[in-house]
Amino acid sequence: MSATGDAENTPEDTTSRNARSAPSGGSGQGPGDVEVPVLGPVGMARWAWTQLTKMNTALFLLLLLAVAAVPGSIFPQRIQDPARVSDYIDNNPTLGPWLDRLQLFDVFSSAWFSAIYILLFVSLVGCVLPRAGKHWRAWRAEPPRTPRRLERLPEHRSLTLGGCDSAAAPAPDEVVAEAARLLKRRGYRVAVRETGTAAPSVAAERGMWKEVGNVVFHLALLGVLISVAVGSLFGYKGQKILVEDESFVNTLIGYDSFTPGTNYNPDWLPPFSLRLDDFSSEFYRDTTNPRNYGAPIDFTAEVTIEDAPGAAPRQETLKVNAPVNVDGVKSYLVGNGYAPVIRVTDGNGEVAFEGPVVTIPVDGVYTSNLTLKVPDARPDQLGFTGLLLPTAVTGPDGMPRSGDPGLANPRLILSSYYGDLGLDTGKPQNVYVLDVAPLTELNSMMSDNGAITLDAANPVHELPEGKGTIEFLDVKRYVGLDIVYDPGRTGAFISFVAAFAGLLMSMFISRRRVWVRATTDLDDQGRPATVVEYGLLARGEDPRLRTEAESLGELFTTHWKAIGVRDDAGDRTESAPEKTTDRARRGPTTN
Amino acid sequence: MFATSRLILPTATLSRRRVLSLTALGALGASLTGCGAEEDSLAQQANAGDGKGYIGGDGTVSAYAPDQRGEPVQFTGTFFDATQASAADLRGTPVLLNFWYAGCAPCRVEAPDLKELAQRFAGQVTFYGVNLRDERATAQAFERTFEIPYPSFEDKDGDVLMALSAYVPPQAVPTTLVLDAQGRVAARILGLADRSILETLLADVAAETA
Repeated sequence: MSATGDAENTPEDTTSRNARSAPSGGSGQGPGDVEVPVLGPVGMARWAWTQLTKMNTALFLLLLLAVAAVPGSIFPQRIQDPARVSDYIDNNPTLGPWLDRLQLFDVFSSAWFSAIYILLFVSLVGCVLPRAGKHWRAWRAEPPRTPRRLERLPEHRSLTLGGCDSAAAPAPDEVVAEAARLLKRRGYRVAVRETGTAAPSVAAERGMWKEVGNVVFHLALLGVLISVAVGSLFGYKGQKILVEDESFVNTLIGYDSFTPGTNYNPDWLPPFSLRLDDFSSEFYRDTTNPRNYGAPIDFTAEVTIEDAPGAAPRQETLKVNAPVNVDGVKSYLVGNGYAPVIRVTDGNGEVAFEGPVVTIPVDGVYTSNLTLKVPDARPDQLGFTGLLLPTAVTGPDGMPRSGDPGLANPRLILSSYYGDLGLDTGKPQNVYVLDVAPLTELNSMMSDNGAITLDAANPVHELPEGKGTIEFLDVKRYVGLDIVYDPGRTGAFISFVAAFAGLLMSMFISRRRVWVRATTDLDDQGRPATVVEYGLLARGEDPRLRTEAESLGELFTTHWKAIGVRDDAGDRTESAPEKTTDRARRGPTTN
Repeated sequence: MFATSRLILPTATLSRRRVLSLTALGALGASLTGCGAEEDSLAQQANAGDGKGYIGGDGTVSAYAPDQRGEPVQFTGTFFDATQASAADLRGTPVLLNFWYAGCAPCRVEAPDLKELAQRFAGQVTFYGVNLRDERATAQAFERTFEIPYPSFEDKDGDVLMALSAYVPPQAVPTTLVLDAQGRVAARILGLADRSILETLLADVAAETA
């Protein structure tokens, strides 16, 4: 397909383009030779437009786009992981803020990246629309007139009709009309010319849909861009962690984090609720294959959906890559983990916390980080950090670790602290991080009294200094949901299909022109015969042009067999070298 | 994304159409957020990546004049003591609904103000909490800490929230809704409620009824 796009760069095009861009450089002539005309604002604009829609510019912008995308894979990106960006800025206090100012953490939405691809698409539109108009006119016009010398075309044949069983040579007009009929049946559009003269001819062209496919392809890509734009303007994406038996309501307050589209108003969120009834995971349990033992196979969440306030609830099953859809809002299952149910009784003997605590798995066996803040414990606020081991085993070094992702022997290993957690200042805190600096340690792996270890056998631990007790009650499962609304999705899909269809059309349809001319001549025995001469021209590179020429030859031969057909093969062989040079000379202009 | 994989060096063999198609694909990798207006606070929160686990509010107040209010709200909820209440039961006096949970830092800051206001407007405005995330013991510990004089709905199942989001949706933790005596939403505060503003709103809605 690489060269087919050049089909439109006919020699005339190239000349006119060069002519138009000549005043810009003016480098063709020395400064003294000619006075460079002043362009003026309109001229400048026209010149800029010509430059922008030039192929060189498109190439340059493409290269620039590729280069501009590189920082996107060097620096952490906010659209992927805002927490990593924050970490990066914290760890690089000098460089970080500058990179942020240069939008290097938001590469794909940065002003400079946007500028490049918007220019590219303007360039595309500036190229495709005129091409579409040109093709429209070409389609309405008749096939181009017959060249005077068909033998100069890349494929050229000639047949002599008549002479068999003393059949009379057919009239050239009739032959041309027949040829036109044959070509038409073969899918060519035809125009019969110069009838009544000594050398009538038919001009035929096929493959007009190729350029249509080409234009459709480019317009569909624009459609994809517009759909993506609609999606990012009017869509949104949010996250929610949901423990079993909890409900999520699709209103802003229900989200853990929420990224609105640029023009999205949170008032538009359609209220629906999603309750996690049950979550189960399936792990690989074939002991004959120890390497994969414990690998996750399937995650299944049973959910109950209410589509609107007061609507009847319905049951759905949520799986990885099988989201549930509520009016175009899709909820994806993207994560899961364990939420141990913990009860903390404070130093006054009152229950200060009870409920599931979401832990963050850090490896394949679900060794999970736990952080628990108990701001309502009295006399002192309490904080816990540590690990949940779903299947606790003792490692060879004597340290406990998780041996399996399943929940066979859940154990909590915790450090405890007391003091001011800082929550009462109103400053938002990371739920999964406990800042231990202002706190006083009660237990830890390092302290003399060791870490708190809680499991089914020992579910309760009394904290030192009468600060309270902690109890390990149960383990629940939780799921991480991505809730995504992308109104551009359908449009993007349709555009992709159209682009693909257009691409196939432009790749597999060949645009060819055929001219057939009939003249009356005397054959070598001096009898009158009709010479049918035809030539083919492809627009762009067409390796099957010769095959088509041969097929046409067969078609004509079969058609006129009854009256005798002689292939003027000698003619073809003689002219072959000339044709080669012809093509070689033609090469540079068409490319 | 597409753009990062498009490191193709253009060469003379690339035709114009091929170039254009590649550039088109490259641009698909980009989202268009860059051409929008400046970031709003929601996008800033999303980009902060601070893991705070809730949507904060900036204290935005929406107050509705009596003739601009919507329909009276309808909901049914269960208090932590297992008694039930519906919106219809609350008609006749203005109501304040405060959406909260114990681990939310701004909720803890406004709790003392809410307590004092609840006492000041006792008999004029009825206060209720709507707890979004906590189990009973955790919620009661919070109420003990701040000596909250009014009950809260246990709303982990989202019943109250779901019903109310059809009217004026709560959009931050905390959110405070003020309902008039007919049960229509008279005001909404997203985020930490400023004490004097809340006091004015409550006084207004109490004066309407009087």
